[in-house]
Amino acid sequence: MNEILEKLFTCIEFGKINTASPYPPQMRGQEGAMELTKQALEAGIAPSEIMDSALIPAMTRVGQKFTEGQVFVPQMLLSAKAMNAALTHIKPFFLSGEVKRKGTFIIGTVFGDLHDIGKNLVCMMVEGAGWEVVDLGVDASAEKFLAALEEHPGAHIGLSALLTTTMTNMKTIIDKVHETHPEVKFIVGGAPVSAEFAQEIGADGYAADPQDDIKILENFLNA
Amino acid sequence: MSDSVEHTFHTYRFPYGEVLPSLDELARYLHMDEDAEHPAYLYMKERLAELTSSDLEAVGGYAVGAIDGLDLQAGTLTVEGVTFGVGAQVCGYLKEATEAALFLCTAGPLFSDEAHELNAQGDFLEAYIIDAIGSLTVERAMDKIHKALEVEQAKRGMKITNRYSPGYCNWPLRDQRPLFDFVSENPTGIALSESCLMHPIKSVSGVIGIGVKARRRAYGCVICQNKTCIYRRLVQKN
Repeated sequence: MNEILEKLFTCIEFGKINTASPYPPQMRGQEGAMELTKQALEAGIAPSEIMDSALIPAMTRVGQKFTEGQVFVPQMLLSAKAMNAALTHIKPFFLSGEVKRKGTFIIGTVFGDLHDIGKNLVCMMVEGAGWEVVDLGVDASAEKFLAALEEHPGAHIGLSALLTTTMTNMKTIIDKVHETHPEVKFIVGGAPVSAEFAQEIGADGYAADPQDDIKILENFLNA
Repeated sequence: MSDSVEHTFHTYRFPYGEVLPSLDELARYLHMDEDAEHPAYLYMKERLAELTSSDLEAVGGYAVGAIDGLDLQAGTLTVEGVTFGVGAQVCGYLKEATEAALFLCTAGPLFSDEAHELNAQGDFLEAYIIDAIGSLTVERAMDKIHKALEVEQAKRGMKITNRYSPGYCNWPLRDQRPLFDFVSENPTGIALSESCLMHPIKSVSGVIGIGVKARRRAYGCVICQNKTCIYRRLVQKN
């Protein structure tokens, strides 16, 4: 791999945002994700190459480490911060169409539930994996998902819930969306949710953590 | 039940300095206790210091009523004519109780307001930390109220149970309504949304059983069947 991309990978993995960031201590004073992405573009590396060879694999690595219990939410959020710093240079190429997103993922915490930490993590990791993420926030109704689908046809949907008493609202949303959009695929997740429950309510996938969401979305692409 | 019955709300107020988590506790909760140079750790330290010196407070308390009925099969608890569909699991935990304390407690709007703003700015790490401080603060305030209730009831020769909340153990959130009606006048300032969620978000509500034979059980994961719960995973990692 190109040396700049290698360094960029490391910056994302360990959350080195820019030169001024004092963390991680062993990289103090060195360039961070922000500067290295700019350098990579200036060196003529295609933005899609930067995404595919450095940013996405680095976030995938972070997601794997989280799944394995090697890092926790704060480390993952710091990596996401470094990723966002890098993306400030890449986003114009999304808009111009030079870098293609893998697809669109509409996500929200179901109506009746205000918990958003897990959902926010999924947003960051899925975006880091190359998807456009439309975040409907918390307490999201079926109508809100339907409106977002109108704007983003072909999108997949992610539903999150933290309470045993609100996870049942997932089925209401799935049923309502499927009435007019039977082709839409759903991934569900959240503390009380299980694979069995996902199957029971007609979801297409159950994600125990953000990495699962990415794997399932990749499967949707390859289906 | 007569809707007009007023139940005395025993109020407790705690300055943030008394109920905020310590830096060690917060760092352990977020698994950041082994990296004092991590920006998350430094932010925790900074915000805790600021919050400790603020004049804000957590407010909560409880209203006590006699239990008229507990139907394990139907999963209902009736306190002075007000019926709560607490579910079979919570009914089981309350079966030795003869009275119930319906409680409310809030850490105030600061935490969720600040987390919301930070999230909107894209400062997810900081938002996550503020949210965690709010969660621990309201639980610590409620721990103190729980303890105060235990001390009060011990004077009458009574014991108390764990606390149980709507939204958990299959107790529907819609039961917040009768709970708030039962508690009636109180100084917490907690409001219910149409979908029965509490505002401020960093608030808790629920029931504690009281009785001569009531007892506190090993908490959480031991009694809960939810194998995928995030708290179970946190406990296991600790």
